[in-house]
Amino acid sequence: MEHDPFRWGRPSDQAYGEYNNSIAHAGQQQSFPKMNTQQPIVTGTSVIAIKFKDGIVIAADNLGSYGSLARFTDVERLFPVGDHAVVGISGDISDLQYVSRLLEDLEIENNYDYDGHSLRAPHIHEYLQKVFYHRRSKMDPLWNSTIVGGLDDSGKPFLKYVDLLGVQYSAPTLATGFGAYLALPILRKVVFEEKDVEKIDEETARNAIKECMKVLFYRDARSLDKYSLITITKKNGVVFEKGLKSEEQSWRFAKDIKGYGTQKV
Amino acid sequence: MAVKFKDGVVLGADSRTTTGSYIANRVTDKLTQVYDKIWCCRSGSAADTQAVADIVKYHLELYTAQHGKPPSAKVAASIFQELTYTNKDALSAGLIVAGFDEKTNGEVFSIPLGGSVHKQPFAIAGSGSAYIYGWTEKNFKENMNKEEVVSFVKTALAQAIKWDGSSGGVIRQVILTKEGIERLVFYPDEYEDA
Amino acid sequence: MTSVGTGYDLSNSVFSPDGRNFQVEYASKAVENGGTSIGLKTKNGIVFAVEKIITSKLLVPGKNNRIQTIGRSIGAVYSGLLPDGRHLVSRGRDEFNSYRSQYKEDITVPYLIDRLGNYVQAYTCYNSVRPFGITSIIGGIDEDGTHLYMLEPSGSYWGYKGAATGKGRQSAKNELEKLNLDELSTRDAVKEAARIIYQAHEDNKDKDFEIEISWISKEETKGLHQFVPEDLLNEAKQYAEDKLNEDEDEDEEDEDENMEE
Repeated sequence: MEHDPFRWGRPSDQAYGEYNNSIAHAGQQQSFPKMNTQQPIVTGTSVIAIKFKDGIVIAADNLGSYGSLARFTDVERLFPVGDHAVVGISGDISDLQYVSRLLEDLEIENNYDYDGHSLRAPHIHEYLQKVFYHRRSKMDPLWNSTIVGGLDDSGKPFLKYVDLLGVQYSAPTLATGFGAYLALPILRKVVFEEKDVEKIDEETARNAIKECMKVLFYRDARSLDKYSLITITKKNGVVFEKGLKSEEQSWRFAKDIKGYGTQKV
Repeated sequence: MAVKFKDGVVLGADSRTTTGSYIANRVTDKLTQVYDKIWCCRSGSAADTQAVADIVKYHLELYTAQHGKPPSAKVAASIFQELTYTNKDALSAGLIVAGFDEKTNGEVFSIPLGGSVHKQPFAIAGSGSAYIYGWTEKNFKENMNKEEVVSFVKTALAQAIKWDGSSGGVIRQVILTKEGIERLVFYPDEYEDA
Repeated sequence: MTSVGTGYDLSNSVFSPDGRNFQVEYASKAVENGGTSIGLKTKNGIVFAVEKIITSKLLVPGKNNRIQTIGRSIGAVYSGLLPDGRHLVSRGRDEFNSYRSQYKEDITVPYLIDRLGNYVQAYTCYNSVRPFGITSIIGGIDEDGTHLYMLEPSGSYWGYKGAATGKGRQSAKNELEKLNLDELSTRDAVKEAARIIYQAHEDNKDKDFEIEISWISKEETKGLHQFVPEDLLNEAKQYAEDKLNEDEDEDEEDEDENMEE
């Protein structure tokens, strides 16, 4: 006789063997953890930026890569927000489009109140950092590295990075992806530290960025020689130049390269 | 693939569905209507893309009931995009959405795997597309007439079928213009020398 | 009112025997006593203006707005209970944002007003709620052009070229009818709007008021709904005062003539 009321009415162990709980609860058992982290599919390569005495210059090419396939050649990766800021985004393009919608929503919400305050680069950066960190904490990151550029509340140049991990840092020159290896060393020759920013004018900054875009095209296998460039100053606000081509490329020297060492012909 | 031309848009596709290297269906119709003159080309998982197309079709019907006007191709593309983007972990769907209305005179949107949207004058997708990037880029012209665009699509798909083992069968085309909806089918003996 | 005290006015969701919903009619009373609101639809723009009655000298000028942005290029102004207007605008913003997340483009003005109309109507159907104590004028620019609507406490709405509500609506409507809205530039419409509000205030002269004006125009505001800039507002106020004085002088002259007779 079974004296435990919990067992009453159940098959007896003596007759049927011990009850197999794993079969009874098979439906509720989770054999896989929930998967959320993805992999980037269509991607954009580097974003590069530099401060100068009156503002910032930022650039990104127009390629949307599908693995090594140069699939889309008209992707815009720079997004002006408000009247004094821009966000440059590299990494997954579907997430880029999502982030760009977030930024539009932010701008719409900011325009509810006509109180003379406008969205500036530091506010946008702080917002984005929170979004990126929140998503990585949910194990569902937005697969991007971004640079936020513009002017801060006091009208001084502002440049700051944030990426899929929520990592953030600021510097007078910034680059994402391949640009961190190829462009930063060149940009740092122009502006090494914060105090150098004062010495640099718009012309010098623009030329440095253009030179870097050319080097990136030479050496980054996921890049294009077609790009967009944005300059932000107090005087002219956001100046957006689209569809620029990397000019004056150097290739002619190839005719003198013969063999790979000793060959002369 | 889908192509904008003078009078509207043309969609085209081969008719092969495979499970591994077995051809499960050799006369598939991959050109799917989601609204009167908004169609899509499905590539990737047949089950996923059919499910997504059915859901979009429902949303567009609802849109019409609520708004009292037909949806634009852009709205259709946005719904496709939202579904493929938010379910990117679960789906394998590469889609092209193409639609005709008199306001835009036809639009083509490419929605690849991750769920981004790309508005394009013409779009190609699927396993066979890798073989025709060069040819299509070189031979595409803006504002082709109907005869030219049908031949463009036919030649492109014939090449994709020739080189890609996962593409084959017949070439189906759907032409969306002010005049209406027209379906074309080209059999292997008709397209092989095209 | 003969029906007061019969019990049919105590609740929504109960008709009176002659087919009226008294709660809705009382809500309209709240509107009729509010500051005058107007909306103008020009060839390629929208102008909103409102007479804001100052109930206390301690209130800060330029605050407690009665014109609000629903989203990007859609605005609203309302007469009646301020918090009810706040709530409606908040609902409008939710509609605007949820439409954007669903369709990745901005909601059209006619569809927005239809959604809001249904929302307001629902507040006339349940005895646990009261109707909205506002009539709102909602307008904006979308892909199909400019639109202007007026939404009443009953939930019904109509499209207008020029709309007016609140205490001074009658004189405002008369003035709106005289304007050639199809030809008027949006900039000039701002000045006319100020004049109409000033004129509508004439019957309510014992109270102080502040004027609020906003506009939407592709040329002037890049299609965004914004308050008019300070200098234009002052120009419009000046224009309104001058026009009003002109009319008064004419009236006085008429009176003088009468006396001579």
